[in-house]
Amino acid sequence: MSVWSWLVDVATEAITMIPGLAGGLVKSISIFCWTLLFALPLGLLIAFGRMSKRKVFGRFHVIRSFTKLYIDIMRGTPLMLQLMVVFYGPYYLWGANIAGFRYPAIIIAFSLNYAAYFGEIYRSGIESMPLGQYEAAQVLGYTRGQTFFKIILPQVIKRILPAVTNEVITLVKDTSLAFSLAYMEMFTLAKQIAAKNTTFLPFVVSGIFYFVFNAVVARIMNGLEKKMDYYR
Amino acid sequence: MKKKLAAIALMTVMSVACLTGCGSKDESGKTFTVGFDAEYPPYGYMDDNGDYTGFDLELAQAVCEMEGWELVKQPIDWDSKDMELDSGSIDCIWNGFTINGREDDYEWSQAYADNSQVMVVSESAGINSLADLAGKTVGVQAASAALQVLEEDQAELSATFGALQEFADYNSAFVELQAGSVDAVAMDIGVANYQLKSRGEGFKILDEALNSEQYGVGFKKGNTKLRDTVDKDITKLAEDGTIAKLAEKYDITDLICIGK
Repeated sequence: MSVWSWLVDVATEAITMIPGLAGGLVKSISIFCWTLLFALPLGLLIAFGRMSKRKVFGRFHVIRSFTKLYIDIMRGTPLMLQLMVVFYGPYYLWGANIAGFRYPAIIIAFSLNYAAYFGEIYRSGIESMPLGQYEAAQVLGYTRGQTFFKIILPQVIKRILPAVTNEVITLVKDTSLAFSLAYMEMFTLAKQIAAKNTTFLPFVVSGIFYFVFNAVVARIMNGLEKKMDYYR
Repeated sequence: MKKKLAAIALMTVMSVACLTGCGSKDESGKTFTVGFDAEYPPYGYMDDNGDYTGFDLELAQAVCEMEGWELVKQPIDWDSKDMELDSGSIDCIWNGFTINGREDDYEWSQAYADNSQVMVVSESAGINSLADLAGKTVGVQAASAALQVLEEDQAELSATFGALQEFADYNSAFVELQAGSVDAVAMDIGVANYQLKSRGEGFKILDEALNSEQYGVGFKKGNTKLRDTVDKDITKLAEDGTIAKLAEKYDITDLICIGK
């Protein structure tokens, strides 16, 4: 068999797998979108909590310590384990009926995990802003809320975008961890097609899908960065 | 305009996925959720159209038709099967599920198929008996019945191996077998037949089996009511020839032990 006809054979086989994997890609994208939707705002809250100066009894930084612990747990344990805890946990703790909870559990676990990382990225951006920005805003009569959302946050976003892009691209690939709850996203499907056809080809095809997905994400983030060039 | 389009496309994707994700809670009629490993042909796997099928799933479908239930095929991660069953996200494990060694862990239906754990070796390796495996590297699927046999009943044999290597799936195991990094792979005979048929020349199954065991349907401990219903239906399906017909379709007639 010549190299050429071998290539044609492999390509034909790969093409037959695309429809099956594309269905999984839609589910991977949905995990991705929902996670960003929840994790990005939640991360901001965590950043605030992490920087909180509020004390109880005049000495304990309750909010700060609590958020610190949360971040430590979320970053310090595997995401795969967190997925299992969120899905099976309610049953083992309270005997809850978890039928139909598979998909929400995945979104919750991903959001909680990524919010911890985003929180630290936000904090790095917010703490890097010079005090002069706050003082100038105060002189111009901005309230604290206006100062943060109109002056500080846009500059913060500009500064943290490269770090956020890193995290977002990791998220694209991490959606494959949903296989541990047997959710039919792309990687789970690739495994099943591989078993049926006794070949590794589905993994190559899904690898190309992930790559293209990430190329699109990277381009979008790049465009965003260019838009924010207004802030130096 | 572009942004609007992108936003609309995104919303559609998200809502579609949500619908498929949350749509399993159908109230009309009773559902029967079967947990299975979708990487286990010919008992449960994904066919060319992307639908789940296999001998066990079609049998489950026949039971559902008798009872007027709606069959829900829930693929599971095999390592998490007990958590899935305990938590009630599935009603039973029905997928080439070995009874032997797990008698007390589940409520079992009657056995419907014989199975044996066998060794698959490369034809050219010159391995012809279990004794030839001394000092060799042997592969086995993680959390499988084959692993349990090698660790318990055949522990003496395993002790002669050079190493016991656990795999997540049979594809990796067979590639390593081909590449020579493992010398033999232990698996169910039904799976071995499927793999050899689909991979063609180059492999063989050793005549000596590691053990003989049987497949059944596993229900959660204490759930005898559901077990009894399904068990009764399996008996009927054996009597009316449905099981024999399905076995022929999936090429496992020799392995069926019910109704003989």
